[in-house]
Amino acid sequence: MIEGVLMLVGSVLILVGSLFDLLAALGLLRLPDLYTRIHALTMGTIGGAVLPLIGVALVAAGWVELGSYRWYLAGAAIVTAILILMLAPAGSHAIARAAYRARSPSPSYVVIDELAKKVRGGGR
Amino acid sequence: MGSRLLAALSMCAMALALAYALTVGVFSIYIPIELRPLAKILVTSAYNESTPLFSSMTPEIVTAVVWDYRGIDTFFEVAVFYVAIVATAALFRGIERSAPRTSVGLSTIVRTVTRIVALMIVVVGSAIILHGHLTPGGGFQGGATIAVAVALALVAYGLAKLVEHRIDYETSLKVRSLGLLGLSLSACIALIAALILNTNAYVFQNQPKTYAPIGLPYAVDGVLISGTVLLLNIFDGIAVAAGFALLLILLSQPEDVARERVLSSEGGE
Repeated sequence: MIEGVLMLVGSVLILVGSLFDLLAALGLLRLPDLYTRIHALTMGTIGGAVLPLIGVALVAAGWVELGSYRWYLAGAAIVTAILILMLAPAGSHAIARAAYRARSPSPSYVVIDELAKKVRGGGR
Repeated sequence: MGSRLLAALSMCAMALALAYALTVGVFSIYIPIELRPLAKILVTSAYNESTPLFSSMTPEIVTAVVWDYRGIDTFFEVAVFYVAIVATAALFRGIERSAPRTSVGLSTIVRTVTRIVALMIVVVGSAIILHGHLTPGGGFQGGATIAVAVALALVAYGLAKLVEHRIDYETSLKVRSLGLLGLSLSACIALIAALILNTNAYVFQNQPKTYAPIGLPYAVDGVLISGTVLLLNIFDGIAVAAGFALLLILLSQPEDVARERVLSSEGGE
């Protein structure tokens, strides 16, 4: 019983993750500039990689035929999910910061830029 | 508009076809049931307690071939890597000790994540090295993994911060020499023991052979260590990690400091 529920929830998570990946790909194609594309990319990594990995962990935990190896699979998937959860935002942040400091053209929709005073006035 | 719609539709059709093929199993891999003669020899001799004179006592067959069957071959492969490092160090001679005064590094977010992840990378690299005789991997792979932590720290913190924490040219050179010395010693450990006990032994000998009764124990307290294979993996990992760290530190020298140093040593312009 509990195994069936775990596998069902895990499969749903994997399905939702693939939808996130599709949305991220569409966003990368359609969004106008670097900052909004980074938003789409990070949505793809968190929703499209972390979520399916948690789903994989649930599916593995519910797969009785794997014996004790299912806990290894589930643990590895959870650890990978936590690592991506830490690394992907840091990477996106570093790219966005580098783009800002390299004076990449400011998007037309920017109304207020609080960081400009800090960066150009007070050095790093 | 029509051509873009067509392109999108064809992409969707390809994705669906790939999903169908992966699910139903069109791309099934042909696995022969019969082993080839060479594979038979390796499978029966890599780890076989009933024939200790012909076995390398290493369950991971690739590691057994690399560090036991063809140890000298691997030693020269490792030597090629060290010659490459020595050549780089020779190119950078004179500027290797000129550390930059300050380093800025990336933002606090990236530095904090790097601090957590670098430790985990070192742990994973050590696990790859220490399980080299049991699972795929080994000294070179684990050492390269550990070097990734140094590369991350170089990007996130900058060279000056690393030099402050004694991860510099001198230290990596010393650690690399230590690893090389250990590698050479563990290659000759059976030979040294045979010289003391006045019997025969080979270079890169692991388990006892017919006319060379000296060999390292393959298990200590029931834990499989595969004799010299574990030692060779550990020292190879240390040497490779320090060698890559040396290369990365040399290559990340800032250009202005290097130019200043080179021009002053040549006596001006």
